[in-house]
Amino acid sequence: MRSYYCWVEFINVGILKVGTVKTFVRVYDTRTRDFFLCSSGKKRKTVAKREGKLRKCTRIEIHVINAQGLQPVLDVPLYGRIATLELFRPHGEAQDSLFIATERYKFCVLQWDAETSDLVTRAAGDVSDRIGRPTDNGQIGIIDPDCRLIGLHLYDGLFKVIPFDNRGQLKEAFNIRLEELQVLDIKFLFGCSKPTIVVLYQDNKDARHVKTYEVALKEKDFVEGPWSQNNLDNGAGLLIPVPMPLGGVIIIGEETIVYCSATAFKAIPTRPSITRAYGRVDADGSRYLLSDNSGLLHLLVITHEKERVTGLKIEHLGETSIASTISYLDNAIVYVGSSFGDSQLIKLNLHPDAKGSYVEVVDRYVNLGPIVDFCVVDLERQGQGQVVTCSGAYKDGSLRIVRNGIGINEQASVELQGIKGMWSLRVSTDDPYDTFLVVSFISETRTLAMNSDDELEETEIEGFDSQVQTLFCHDAANNQLVQVTASSVRLVSSTSRDLLDEWKAPSGFSVNVATANSTQVLLATGGGNLVYLEICYSKLTEVKHAKLEYEVSCLDINPIGENPNFSQLAAVGMWTDMSVQIFSLPSLDLITKEHLGGEIIPRSVLLCAFEGVSYLLCALGDGHLFNFLLNMSTGELTDRKKVSLGTQPITLRTFSSKSTTHVFAASDRPTVIYSSNKKLLYSNVNLKEVSYMCPFNSAAFPDSLAIAKEGELTIGTIDDIQKLHIRSIPLGEHAKRICHQEQSRTFAICSMKYFQTSTDESEMHFVRLLDDQTFDFISTYPLDTYEFGCSILSCSFADDSNVYYCVGTAYVLPEENEPSKGRILVFIVEDGKLQLIAEKETKGAVYSLNAFNGKLLAAINQKIHLYKWMLRDEGSRELQLECGHHGHILALYVQTRGDFIVVGDLMKSISLLIYKHEEGAIEERARDYNANWMTAVEILDDDIYLGAENNFNLFTVRKNSEGATDEERARLEAVGEYHLGESVNRFRHGSLVMRLPDSDVGQIPTVIFGTVNGAIGVIASLSHEHYLFLEKLQSNLVKVIKGVGGLSHEQWRSFNNEKKTADAKNFLDGDLIESFLDLSRNRMEEISKAMDVSVEELCKRVEEMTRLH
Amino acid sequence: MEDVTSRKSKASSAPPPNSNNSRAGGASKYLSNLPSRGLFSSTVISSNPGGMRVYVCDHDTSPPEDQVISTNQTNILIRSLTLKKQKSDSSSKDVKRKATTDNAKGKRAAERTVDGRASAKKPYMIPRSSPTERSSGRTSDKDFQGLTVEKLRVLLRGRGLSTKGKKDELISRLRNDNVDGEA
Repeated sequence: MRSYYCWVEFINVGILKVGTVKTFVRVYDTRTRDFFLCSSGKKRKTVAKREGKLRKCTRIEIHVINAQGLQPVLDVPLYGRIATLELFRPHGEAQDSLFIATERYKFCVLQWDAETSDLVTRAAGDVSDRIGRPTDNGQIGIIDPDCRLIGLHLYDGLFKVIPFDNRGQLKEAFNIRLEELQVLDIKFLFGCSKPTIVVLYQDNKDARHVKTYEVALKEKDFVEGPWSQNNLDNGAGLLIPVPMPLGGVIIIGEETIVYCSATAFKAIPTRPSITRAYGRVDADGSRYLLSDNSGLLHLLVITHEKERVTGLKIEHLGETSIASTISYLDNAIVYVGSSFGDSQLIKLNLHPDAKGSYVEVVDRYVNLGPIVDFCVVDLERQGQGQVVTCSGAYKDGSLRIVRNGIGINEQASVELQGIKGMWSLRVSTDDPYDTFLVVSFISETRTLAMNSDDELEETEIEGFDSQVQTLFCHDAANNQLVQVTASSVRLVSSTSRDLLDEWKAPSGFSVNVATANSTQVLLATGGGNLVYLEICYSKLTEVKHAKLEYEVSCLDINPIGENPNFSQLAAVGMWTDMSVQIFSLPSLDLITKEHLGGEIIPRSVLLCAFEGVSYLLCALGDGHLFNFLLNMSTGELTDRKKVSLGTQPITLRTFSSKSTTHVFAASDRPTVIYSSNKKLLYSNVNLKEVSYMCPFNSAAFPDSLAIAKEGELTIGTIDDIQKLHIRSIPLGEHAKRICHQEQSRTFAICSMKYFQTSTDESEMHFVRLLDDQTFDFISTYPLDTYEFGCSILSCSFADDSNVYYCVGTAYVLPEENEPSKGRILVFIVEDGKLQLIAEKETKGAVYSLNAFNGKLLAAINQKIHLYKWMLRDEGSRELQLECGHHGHILALYVQTRGDFIVVGDLMKSISLLIYKHEEGAIEERARDYNANWMTAVEILDDDIYLGAENNFNLFTVRKNSEGATDEERARLEAVGEYHLGESVNRFRHGSLVMRLPDSDVGQIPTVIFGTVNGAIGVIASLSHEHYLFLEKLQSNLVKVIKGVGGLSHEQWRSFNNEKKTADAKNFLDGDLIESFLDLSRNRMEEISKAMDVSVEELCKRVEEMTRLH
Repeated sequence: MEDVTSRKSKASSAPPPNSNNSRAGGASKYLSNLPSRGLFSSTVISSNPGGMRVYVCDHDTSPPEDQVISTNQTNILIRSLTLKKQKSDSSSKDVKRKATTDNAKGKRAAERTVDGRASAKKPYMIPRSSPTERSSGRTSDKDFQGLTVEKLRVLLRGRGLSTKGKKDELISRLRNDNVDGEA
């Protein structure tokens, strides 16, 4: 039986997702380095029409700004959803501190320790109150500009004050009663002798006002402030405090902008728009950037004579992504953080371009959020999933194709069977390009070369022996080439192509394995004889010979020391004792011997250096790979780690891409090994099986690789070396549902386009058909006015071989609370066009469609309906209602498996229905009696169902078939609970990685999820034994890896909603467990001791899990 | 771009845009003198997307002992009353002590009566330090608090005032009448 243990982790889809940017200035060293932080602010979004959700991040990114731009430094995970993030500078300190409050009422003050590069907790605490109604308009956290107190508005009618003492230390917090209940914004005013807040609020007649209060710290109470202003713009929603010498506050409304202070009141009308974000440009507060909900950027200027404000000016600058935050960084560069599209780095130009825009986009940062829907497809049919998401909103809507692994872009290929090895050679030593490609077969060697037409043609290097298999080839210094065959080593001039010298193997012995670099050759003949030759000018010299106890299986002398032409170390893999040994060159003295253990011989060894760190890689015949840190001066091997890459023997080869060296591991699952932040990473290559690879950097194919696979030789370039590749297809409209149809090779989407004129907004909904390769719109079916596309499905019906797209819609009329009418549309794709075949009116919104036993199962408002596909007399087809099931509030999410139907209800959690064939009826079998407001459901297996609810929790429920009583059987038992901290919009079965049927990890079923914040993650079902092991590791890791700011992991992951808080159970935090690999060796050993499992084994088990994504 | 950067270097403390040349159209004049500290000065702005290290925090992150902040749980009303009392009775330690015990009880239902009785018991220890008229106002106020609604109504009727409303309203009406009478 499958278990209900789940592993949850996020897939890192890029940096700078959304951001309030805060500048972190430190003055420790004289270099101008600023720190730059990023996380989401309190921004509303409305993706599901049902509820506006607040987007909050759980990570902080730290970047350094320098002359070249933004340099990422750290990605800090936080055990909480960030509600407010503020920087401040306590009195008399040279460095800023960062105040973070989380949604679950925890706060911390962090400081950056430059020496240790650590975030130090200066203060922390809990700001929750036992009573109090959480605010509707989001939590507000502000800091007095003179750093006298921190103000928090968390509950209606309460203002919490955390005072500072004069040493910058925090004191006990207290609450003050705030009369205004519907607070929209609170800010501190600048330049007041007593800390003064300005409150923007709405009264019970929905009129909006601002009011000021002085905070009397001694009396712990408010004192009426210097001024107030009643009856503002009805859409006033944002306050901007203006620094001294001007002081006062700017109130941004939908139709007016007002400047207000004790002495002045200025107002200007604006084009009607909702301003979502602002950024201050000048330190004196005379210029601000404003961005509205259609992504238009404006400059607001306060004109003034000395300290007297004379007026306001607003100027249109241009268009950006719809901004959630704006931060003026420096030198006309502005960061625009967006929740609805890609975040941008823009430059404000002094003069407009041809279109009249002053905005120039300098850089973009991928943001997948909000992911409303996605599907997992295998477009290239390689057995590997790609995720296609409906991302972004409004004008920034797009499709994103997320693909794991590194792709090879094929440039040329030749059919060649039986390749046994490949090497590229140059014509002369100082030629930057490779010319020859030597391909070795079992009984011959062929040479290919680029001809003048940039084509590969067969040629001959006369000095080479082409009648036998080549064991190794290399360029040698002074325009020479080296070929090693079973009987000899041949030194050939690369210019005349003549043989210059030859070293012959002693009679009775043949060379088994060989390697070379430009000045050295190392080879092994039968009987464990190791021979070391040096290449001189036209001469091969045998320098040293050593007799080893066993046969040599592989060797390497890749020069990674100071001299790029000469290696002082040789790595040798051995038969029989399964060891790898390090010898010094030229003396061939044994320095280090490392037993690998097990029964599998090393097949390939490689000395390599990444980011200045030297490694020895050793690949085994069973697809495992060892890596060691190599000490170049002593030859010592430390930090042994083992990972599993595939199941077949691996050949290792270095190559370079973008002037960085990487390693290609050719096997049944080709992998690129690279290093990032001095940590080795493994990224699979999107090819099925590669037997050999060699870099081939020719003039016609620069930076290419020659790859031998399945009877062909391919030359291609390699993608950027990174784990995930994201391709963006901008749509200019908001895609809401997506579905792929294998047969017609198309995608169908339901989308919504906004039309905005100066007077009003309207929206149109479409069903669109896209080609799955080009992503072009090839056909469009417009929906009626007020008709929304709610669900889409590709399916076929019983007794009909055609494949159809079914679309469920709803008529969302402004006067109705709940749609009472909808349609099911059945389309067929003919000649690349959507043809409407049948339509069926429904009495409500069709929230979900599923293929079910050759019929169509639809969730319509509170009902589940099953439709048959009937043939009418005249030959046309129609949907006919067969049966239904009532009893939901709104059946929003439906999944099916066999005859079982799992329904995720708006507010009644998960229920399980069954279709009875004999009776032709749907009945309820069981339900979860908890009141969870669902956002997604999925079936993990026959008995276990997964749900996500709107307080950012995940849970699993189990069908209790063995229950003793009917009552027990009718109850879905909650078996797992976990706080994800992200709002999940969709689950889909599938995986982003290629699965090998015979590896352990390949057996683990996974579900991918997409969230409102644009995160993609994996949930994997683990076996009991596997869970116990990792659970133990997690509990040990929690003791070592501390939550930043003293936040507790246990509390963070505990299931939490309005009704209850319960410890996480049967879910594991994959991100936490994988951070084991980032720990220092000492820490790893600490955990290994506590677990009583070797570090090597722990690394291997964790590394295996990282291959899930 | 060239001229923006060169302008930047000499105008690091840029004066705010003037209002006298605000007649000319376009945003150009407002976009001059954007502040700069010499960052992003390179002509090629590049940000390296990869290579962001995930922070693994293996040092102790608990805050210094005295910086674990919690909220004062005293009820806001009680707090303001005690603060008021402390202010006016700063010489009398006795009252202060009493106030803290009140504080500890902190029950909302009992707060008024407890508070009322506590001060009602020793109203005459106070007057020395506080102005006479205020204290008399206070005294009667406190006395009102101790009276039942019936008795308050009798008092109101005696002064020819309305007897309708809640106890608080009755008290305030009496208090207003007192103040007016004294003034």
